[in-house]
Amino acid sequence: MDYRRLVEAIPVVKREPLSNKLIDLVLSSKNDEKMPSQLANTILLHWQNDILITESGLTALLEAAVLLELDKTIEVFTQLELAGFAEQIKEAAAKT
Amino acid sequence: MVKFGIEFMPREPYWKIIYYAIQAEKGGFSNLWITDHFNNRNVYVTLTAAAIYTNKITFGPGVTNPYLVNPVFTAQAIVTLNELAPERVVLGMGAGDKTTLESIGVEMQKPLNAIQEAVEIFRKITSGESVVYKGEVFKTAGAKFSFKPKGRIPVYIGAQGPKMLELAGKIGDGVLINASHPKDVEYAINCVKEGISQARKKLQEVDIAAYPSFSVHEDLKKATKAAIPVVSSIVAGSPSQVLERHGIDSKKADEIREALKANDWGRAFGAVTPEMIEAFSVCGTPDTCIERIAGLLKFGISQFVVGSPIGLNVREAIGLVSDKIIPHFRV
Repeated sequence: MDYRRLVEAIPVVKREPLSNKLIDLVLSSKNDEKMPSQLANTILLHWQNDILITESGLTALLEAAVLLELDKTIEVFTQLELAGFAEQIKEAAAKT
Repeated sequence: MVKFGIEFMPREPYWKIIYYAIQAEKGGFSNLWITDHFNNRNVYVTLTAAAIYTNKITFGPGVTNPYLVNPVFTAQAIVTLNELAPERVVLGMGAGDKTTLESIGVEMQKPLNAIQEAVEIFRKITSGESVVYKGEVFKTAGAKFSFKPKGRIPVYIGAQGPKMLELAGKIGDGVLINASHPKDVEYAINCVKEGISQARKKLQEVDIAAYPSFSVHEDLKKATKAAIPVVSSIVAGSPSQVLERHGIDSKKADEIREALKANDWGRAFGAVTPEMIEAFSVCGTPDTCIERIAGLLKFGISQFVVGSPIGLNVREAIGLVSDKIIPHFRV
């Protein structure tokens, strides 16, 4: 899935709540072993520099959330009334 | 003004711990303490990541012990960290946990000597000296780094018993008091002051930190739920005089100890009483925690360490401490 392209299409107003929900999802996930260290480091670097809600930060968070908690990530998008995006994530996951 | 520290156990992967460490730094915490237990992830690897991803927070092992890692290796790790994050590194050292040491066949030999000697060796070798040392527990025969260590690294002593508290006041730059109840903290600080006075130091020269188990949540039940597992371990590791001071039945403590040894978590956690939670943790809503911390401040602590478990949801709990508790003490 092209996470960056998906993130670019997310309305700016939704990015902060989305970032918050995704980070909660990733931190509370029990599927730690699915997190690639390179991706974890990217997230930490963005968090350190307060840029987790930028497109690059959100892209990394979304990739991690999908890897660790696919179903819950789809739920988050639905809750935030981003159903079209939820659908795209579901379709992409079905293909892989 | 009281400083706030925070403790993490690297049981979780480094990226979770470091996420929380960055959050703590942004939220006004000044000290980060990473526990050192052989069954968790490595303390120095975790601290290295903390050094890279944080900018100003002071950090160190909280605490390591001299039995599993020889003091010269501890010194080596600490001075290397200090090159990575100059003037942000401290050493926290204590005698360790008897049960954990016994589980790997290591005897907690002469803990007072061990700490005093380990600190002396640490200070000598980190100041660039060649260390010839003949102690009761440790011996070195000209140990010296092949590089020049930079700066003087503050040493905090983790202590609970009266003699160790006194020693901590005497030789430490800081003391990590493993207590949460006002009765215990008051008693501990009096012991520390005795040591400070023996060393003819000023009280302000020693950073006195209360290092309790802590759990905060807007819902008291949720705060308590998170505190129970940690409190059960504290009860199991507490000497009988400490239990007596809080009116805790030693048979109840034995029951918890046995259940923990048998990995019977349900029985261990089920035996934890509200009195134990009150005695061995600072636990509750933000307002309750503020009240408890304020109660400890009057005894003269200069740092309050938010110890494990912090809360049911760690991110949320750090947020509560940063937004509601720390600002209360900044006014």
